[in-house]
Amino acid sequence: MEPHRRTAINEVLQSGHGFAGGAAHSGHQLNGHKPTALDAVAFRAASERILTAINTVIDGKAEAAKLALTVLLAQGHLLLEDVPGVGKTLLAKTLARTIDCSVSRIQFTPDLLPSDVTGVSIYNQSSRQFEFRPGAVFANIVIGDEINRASAKTQSALLECMEEHQVTVDGHSYGLAAPFMVVATQNPIEMEGTYPLPEAQRDRFMARISMGYPDKDSEIEMLETHQATSPLERVTAVVTSADVAAMIATVQQVFVSQSVKEYTVAVGRATRDSAMLRLGASPRSMLQLLRAAKATAALDGRDFVLPDDVVAVAESVLAHRIILDRKAASTGETPQSVIRGVLAKLPVSQETADSAKAHRQPAGSGQPAPRTGRQAPELRHSR
Amino acid sequence: MTLTPQRQVSAEQRQPQTEPYRGPKRFGAGAYPWVMAGAVAVSVCGAALSLNGVLRGWAWYLPVLTTVVVVSLAMALLRTVRAQPVLVPLGGLASLVLILTFTFFRRDSFAWFIPSDKTPAALGRLLRRASETVLAESSPVAPNAGIVLVTCAALGLVVILVDALALPLGMPATSGLGLLAVLVVPAMIKPQSVGLAGFLGAAAGYLVILACSQWFAPDARTQADTARNPGQVKRAALTGSVALVGTLLLQLVIPGFDQGTFPQGSRLNPWGSSNGLNPMISLGNSLRSPSGDGRITYATNATAPLYLRSVTVDRFDGESWSPDDRDSTRRAGPGRMDVGHQILAPEQVRQITAVNTGDFTSPYLPAPYAPEAVNGLTGRWSWDPATLSIKGTDTNSRNQQYLVVSSSPKLTTELLNESSAPVQGVPEEFIRPPANLPEIVRTTADSVTQNSGTAYAKAMAIQRYLRAGDFTYSLQSPVQGGYDGNGLSVLADFLTQKSGYCIHFASAMAVMARVEGIPSRIAVGYAPGRLTGATVSVAGQGALPEFEVDARDAHAWPELYFQGLGWVPFEPTPSRGWVPPYAQDPSSGGTSTNDGNNDGLVPSGGPTPPPATETPALPLPGTGEADAGSQPTPLLFGAAAALVLVLVAASPRLVRGSIRARRLRRPASGRNGQDAVPLAWSELLDLAADYGVPPVASETPRNFSARLRSAPALNTDDGGVPQGAASAGTASTGGADTGIIDAGRRAVTALTSDFERHQYGRPDAGESEWNGARDQNTGNQTPAQQIALVRKALHRNAGLMARLRADWLPPSVMSRWGWIAGTPFRAVRGVAARVRRAVAGLWNKARDGVRRLREG
Repeated sequence: MEPHRRTAINEVLQSGHGFAGGAAHSGHQLNGHKPTALDAVAFRAASERILTAINTVIDGKAEAAKLALTVLLAQGHLLLEDVPGVGKTLLAKTLARTIDCSVSRIQFTPDLLPSDVTGVSIYNQSSRQFEFRPGAVFANIVIGDEINRASAKTQSALLECMEEHQVTVDGHSYGLAAPFMVVATQNPIEMEGTYPLPEAQRDRFMARISMGYPDKDSEIEMLETHQATSPLERVTAVVTSADVAAMIATVQQVFVSQSVKEYTVAVGRATRDSAMLRLGASPRSMLQLLRAAKATAALDGRDFVLPDDVVAVAESVLAHRIILDRKAASTGETPQSVIRGVLAKLPVSQETADSAKAHRQPAGSGQPAPRTGRQAPELRHSR
Repeated sequence: MTLTPQRQVSAEQRQPQTEPYRGPKRFGAGAYPWVMAGAVAVSVCGAALSLNGVLRGWAWYLPVLTTVVVVSLAMALLRTVRAQPVLVPLGGLASLVLILTFTFFRRDSFAWFIPSDKTPAALGRLLRRASETVLAESSPVAPNAGIVLVTCAALGLVVILVDALALPLGMPATSGLGLLAVLVVPAMIKPQSVGLAGFLGAAAGYLVILACSQWFAPDARTQADTARNPGQVKRAALTGSVALVGTLLLQLVIPGFDQGTFPQGSRLNPWGSSNGLNPMISLGNSLRSPSGDGRITYATNATAPLYLRSVTVDRFDGESWSPDDRDSTRRAGPGRMDVGHQILAPEQVRQITAVNTGDFTSPYLPAPYAPEAVNGLTGRWSWDPATLSIKGTDTNSRNQQYLVVSSSPKLTTELLNESSAPVQGVPEEFIRPPANLPEIVRTTADSVTQNSGTAYAKAMAIQRYLRAGDFTYSLQSPVQGGYDGNGLSVLADFLTQKSGYCIHFASAMAVMARVEGIPSRIAVGYAPGRLTGATVSVAGQGALPEFEVDARDAHAWPELYFQGLGWVPFEPTPSRGWVPPYAQDPSSGGTSTNDGNNDGLVPSGGPTPPPATETPALPLPGTGEADAGSQPTPLLFGAAAALVLVLVAASPRLVRGSIRARRLRRPASGRNGQDAVPLAWSELLDLAADYGVPPVASETPRNFSARLRSAPALNTDDGGVPQGAASAGTASTGGADTGIIDAGRRAVTALTSDFERHQYGRPDAGESEWNGARDQNTGNQTPAQQIALVRKALHRNAGLMARLRADWLPPSVMSRWGWIAGTPFRAVRGVAARVRRAVAGLWNKARDGVRRLREG
């Protein structure tokens, strides 16, 4: 890559909508009228439209597309990490395009400054006032290309926005747009002259996806379809940002039972206890794991979370946050394999009758079960 | 957090949910325990009716009744106050102890109810008494306190068992086992088996239990079954008739069914007929046994038919007569015996008899009267100078060959008539008339002998009276009349009914003789036998004809004492034995009295087939094991052991079945139907484990379900998932199978989604689009029906071995037991690990301390 000097390109792919430069607007949008949750049919229809649209552009990457949508609906941020040329940026762009919302793209370079990301106050000669010029981060979807090429300072500026959903410049806080998602890409191979994200900052991303190479048929098909024109051209928005906000609201209402919470916590504790890991999953990652699980459940057509949902996203959500022990790394373990091992050993509470009874027992009635059923032999199979 | 709304919902759902499961009669929610307790009490009390005949009379029934009622009411009370299920049987046990204490040990307890330190001694006393009764007597035994205590305790335990099977285990049908345990006792012991009253009582009680459990806790499976199986009545009739035919045919094939015949019930008697301590009481059973076992052969040079006598009975007091052993005055060594009184008869007849007892087992040795010397015995024997009965001190009569030299005065009518001198030198116990003599015996004796002057005339009058046409010989009528056995009350019954067998005739004559002042006793042994046709050469006598007797020749006869002549046997029993010339009525001249000795032994059907002559009759299996003390005790232990064995073999299946029943039973008493789902899921897990797809702890329900559905257990052999087109080609497996397996897989899916929704979904979720579309085929089924479908599919698809294993040794139960069995080992291992760590820590500390000391 040729060295750019101050080549922060703010590409507003979709103009004229959504992007209201002022903080006040955004904050209003967030707090004013709360988006109402969708019912199952509408949610399913919307999610299917999005996924179909993405899948017409990117061949054979339905899994990655679904995960990207999951992260969007779970209000998380996505880290796409893979070798160049497998469609990281394409995925990010397609996702952004299918939704009728504001999108900005930042190409990270070592000389990118924090203010390029967040925005800057500029003295307006005519009004004789400082005016805030919002940075690239003021968009619904922010694509951060090659995030590891920027300096640590710039990176942390972005990451702060991601966490806080607001920008503070000169003592003023400006809220960010309501569905707000950062899709960052990162190249793991070419590490020279890069600033790899420290653990604390990787922790801000909800999930990391490795795109991987497409299979043979998909690759052939890609050669045909992408020959003449970019398929990106054909993609039009299939949902509005209001729809996305409603979908997000729907996901938030997905029910999480006590046992799933316990299972999630057990997953986190198991990674912390694992002998192969130097650093286990953080409590924040538990939060994000559960949020991603809720989105998965909703995409699967359920209004409650199963342990399966937690398992389904655990690898993507946790793998980039944990650090392998040196010994484990030398024996060829990867974070993914360690997580798989942890999950394979962790008992899912299938305790049924008695625990459920205890759980559901009306606490105030003060009387044990009226039936004469024994308690003892309902042993668990989990040991 | 969401508990409160959820609670309200379940409370609201409760009413409409449970309404349909209530029986037609709306008892209050609290009535269930009481009704079930009543049913259990009725059934056990009904079964206890059959014990009449094992225990004499009905005096024992009241304590039994109170015990049963108190125990069941105590358990019902505990259920009503909703005690822990485990506490209920314990409470029943405690109430049993209390009521038994109150009934039997009131004096040796605190406040009448609570056992004190004196109670165990009293208990031991009663138990000893009970065991003595069991050892010494045969049915019907006198209901003394010991026996009644044991009966009450056993029936109380049966109540707890039946209750436990019917209620918490949810196997009301299996609770019949408890009642069966009660019925087994009379079936094995009583000659007329269980009896109508007992059978009807037990059956009625059992039906009440079944009905109550159906009304109050209907089984989801049976409901589902009746809907799907209209041919149930036909099947039941078929099963019943096959079972009936089987029981009728099997008893012909299996050796050992030798007691009784069809109308009364043929019973397995593997221990052989008992011929034990008290020959009096086993006599009736011996006579009734259709095959003569205990065959004895003897050869004698006596000219007259020979009675073999083994024991005498001389005390007519007490509830039940038994030989008076007089162990203190017995003398060792029957090589030389002495009658002990002076014989003034002019002529003595000396006889030599060689006896081979074969497999006749008794502590007493049969010998002709009066033995002077017995030679050739093995083991140590002793004899009683008063009665000349020979008893083994450390051995019994089994397989003895011996030579008896006996002598008796040659008696004539004249001699007896002359012997009118007052009796001297006879122990008091042969003279004293019994204390509590029934009035009828005395009046009969007096009226019979009123015209007789001498002792002999009186004796002859009594004998004539008993041999006259009024009295009939019958083995069955005492049993039917309820006076089988012996004792004064039996005697009174006999004199009223005028029907009985030798024991009754003999005791009637003996007691009446005593009433009239003639010393008397009852001899028990064998009537003269039949010629076998073989000869035995006896040293000094040459070849002597051989006779044989067996159990059917068992006999009792009175012996009366005449001064100067000694003990003289008479024969009051019509159609049995042989009336000696001196006892023959001058008027009748003994013409028709000496009829064949087998008459009347066979109830009604033709002559007894003669036993094999050359070789001894093949001993029945088990007869040889009958020991000197073989009485109902080993019988009971054997029955109990068999029952325990059967239970042990069937227990995994029973346990599995009870777990399944409990899980699938519809919650009847007011829990909402949601709880059926997790129970059904547990059942599905166990079902899968039974058929080789054990659940894995780290598996989510969904993964487990997917694995189960793709496992070979739920897929046909052709590998493919038989759906649609795929199943069209599988002609070999048949469309029905595929359909069943498909249905099973669908049921698994439905159960999984139900369980997921129940376990992880909103507790208050109603029907909404989010809850997904339910499968039309399985959507309306109850979890129990779905489980039934899965089970059917698994069962249909499994091989024979897998099926057997799943039915009889279900891995889900076995692994649970294995885990429980391993608990102590794991505990020990845990403690060992902890100790090892502690020791290591201490060692490190000590080493560091030493090092520091050295350095510092």
